Amino acid sequence: MVRRVLFAALVAAVAAVSVPGQSQEAHGPVRLTLLHTNDTHSRIEPFAAGNGAYSGKGGIARRAALVKKLRSQLDHVLLLDAGDVFQGTPYFNRYKGALDYQLMSMVGYDAVTLGNHDFDNGVDALVAAMKEANFPFVNCNFDMSGAPALAARVKPWLVKSFPGLKVGITGVGVDFKGLVAPRNHQGVIWKDPVASLLQVVQHLRDVEKVDMVVVLSHLGFDMKGDAIDDQILARRVPGIDVIIGGHSHTFLEEPVKITREGGITTIFQVGFGGVNLGRMDFVFHQGSLKPVEAEAVKVQ
Amino acid sequence: MDRRWFGTLLLASALVLGAAEPPAKATLEYSKAVPVVDSVGEDQAVAKVIAPLALELRSSFGRELVRCPSGLFRGRPAEENLLGYWVADLMRSKAAQVLGVPVKVGFTNSGGLRANLRPGILKVGDIYEVMPFENELVVAEYTGAEVVQMVKDGLLRRAGEPISGVKAKVMGTPEKPEITVTWSDGSPIAPDEVVKVALTDYLLTSGDGMSAVRQGRRPITVGIPLRDLLLDECARLGRLKFPLLAPAGGRYEFSPEVAQAIRDRRKLSW
Repeated sequence: MVRRVLFAALVAAVAAVSVPGQSQEAHGPVRLTLLHTNDTHSRIEPFAAGNGAYSGKGGIARRAALVKKLRSQLDHVLLLDAGDVFQGTPYFNRYKGALDYQLMSMVGYDAVTLGNHDFDNGVDALVAAMKEANFPFVNCNFDMSGAPALAARVKPWLVKSFPGLKVGITGVGVDFKGLVAPRNHQGVIWKDPVASLLQVVQHLRDVEKVDMVVVLSHLGFDMKGDAIDDQILARRVPGIDVIIGGHSHTFLEEPVKITREGGITTIFQVGFGGVNLGRMDFVFHQGSLKPVEAEAVKVQ
Repeated sequence: MDRRWFGTLLLASALVLGAAEPPAKATLEYSKAVPVVDSVGEDQAVAKVIAPLALELRSSFGRELVRCPSGLFRGRPAEENLLGYWVADLMRSKAAQVLGVPVKVGFTNSGGLRANLRPGILKVGDIYEVMPFENELVVAEYTGAEVVQMVKDGLLRRAGEPISGVKAKVMGTPEKPEITVTWSDGSPIAPDEVVKVALTDYLLTSGDGMSAVRQGRRPITVGIPLRDLLLDECARLGRLKFPLLAPAGGRYEFSPEVAQAIRDRRKLSW
């Protein structure tokens, strides 16, 4: 009897290993491409001549064509945005952000977070524009209990599943203080993004069992110690694989890797105005059951 | 329980524990900031939505306003922000005109001016790009000491924010700067003197990182959106066939050492 129970325990244990959160185990290497933008600032059309290095670049119709082409060439793709979709051209003044979200829906965004400028016309106007968005919004450090219509539209995190792969996505926004007039974020309270992320990342890892955690951050790449930025996030919050950044309009040539406890966090940000589309291709190799306890097992 | 089964149980436990470990690490295999340029083509469905809206916008935002022969630029750190000075001067003069009282200072934030005015004929859309926000012109009261602090906050925040009615000198070194803030005619600012300052509702309520700005008292809304103020002035000059010219500079003066520190983005220590 004892042997049967122990055998059953062993079978259960092996089964637990073969069907864990590590959903790529039965599939071999899985590839995932993250495409991303940040701070597009209502640049619906390409920059006109006279805009220096940006002249002739950008434009959401081109971005759509590029994304469509890449999706046709790649297996698993997520298209993400790190906030500040609004403000910057007359298109925003005329269409109040609804056009931006309508076109982003056509491009096929999978998740978008909120930047400070997305609050420029106030919470009600933001919620009204969101009616044109067919994609989800993510943020985990805004307490939106005073703005229920916005809270209904913004998730603290979400999970995107592909065959053999689960990706957790969340977002964080910059402190409103000094950036957003109080009347424009009425009912929304900013909270410490580190504390908020610690909880959400742990949930995504331990409960949702995701293979990868992606943070859409509108905190800025390097705030010179004046505020929490992406590099601080990477060091203080274990378990983040990728930070797709915004806010500081930083044109990174290539991703920056931060070594932190338990792994590496990759940060990327692609300037502003839709001049560039970020692309990161990841490979998930099969099986990573760590033999951490193996040395304690001495089978006779 | 014999040792063999005990070992098996340990293995089973180890595997269960192992299953709770973080999953496979992703390896970054390829990355690129892909330029979005003409050669990628356009998605026709998206382009079709934009085309009629672009036409409509161009008809309303493409209206010509005034000639601006040299343009107005925000300047780099430690340089004159002539665009900002033009805006601050207009805010101050318009507030005084509408309220019928002296307004001693105009103050705005360079971060709120989102584009330069390039040389040529200015159109409505150019002004929208400079001032896309729905900010309103307001007037509030400050003591002289608060005005000086406002200038110092602006020096720390962005090496001097656009101002009208006041000038500042930062001499000495980055480690030991000597700051002098006076009225624009060089006369001293009495710390207790209460003056009216024209600014935006955004600045008054948020401060944009400058705490002294939020201390304004008895605010009065002038009733003019800032963008309309700029549009109206350009249209007025255009009707008169006058060009839009750069305002007087010389509002911030830095020692070479301090200017270099600002250009190097080193923190000043006051």
